[in-house]
Amino acid sequence: MGHVRSLSIIAAAVLAGCMVAGATRPQEDVKVNHTSLKAGDMAPDFTLLDNHWKQIHLSDYRGKKNVVLAFYVLAFTEG
Amino acid sequence: MAKLDASDAVVFGISIDSPAANNAFAEKIGVTFPLLSDMNRKVLKEYGILKMYNVQKEEYDWAQRTTFVVDKKGMIQSVEEEASAINPNNAVAVCTKLPKK
Repeated sequence: MGHVRSLSIIAAAVLAGCMVAGATRPQEDVKVNHTSLKAGDMAPDFTLLDNHWKQIHLSDYRGKKNVVLAFYVLAFTEG
Repeated sequence: MAKLDASDAVVFGISIDSPAANNAFAEKIGVTFPLLSDMNRKVLKEYGILKMYNVQKEEYDWAQRTTFVVDKKGMIQSVEEEASAINPNNAVAVCTKLPKK
């Protein structure tokens, strides 16, 4: 707490870029649902398991931290 | 290099992969932030970014690439979809401009 001064989110770019190395995913998009959420809306709360099976509640960060939610297509793919 | 102040912001990657798959993926690419599993697609539906894909004539649904920045009040500050969501610089810029606690 407090000692970690900064966090590189260049990893997010790695997340996107490194997927190129994975297996190719044959696909054809059929439907695109653009989100109806926009700046100024409240973010819907959620509870999800992280990669260590620990529950993460978005609401836990309310009043504490800004949160970047980076939805990615699939792990280990170019998506 | 785009940096976020860890005392002020957190990053979560989210997909439909299992925690086990996400953990292997995290180790492979060396991410320092948690990867969350939306295996039942509940959050994707709530956020309106569940996308149908047609793969070899079968339909599947998983996430459309989207980045949201949520401020400390729980309010969305920015939404980037598809190609524009690949580069994290804008999300970082949005966070940097948000007021400190």
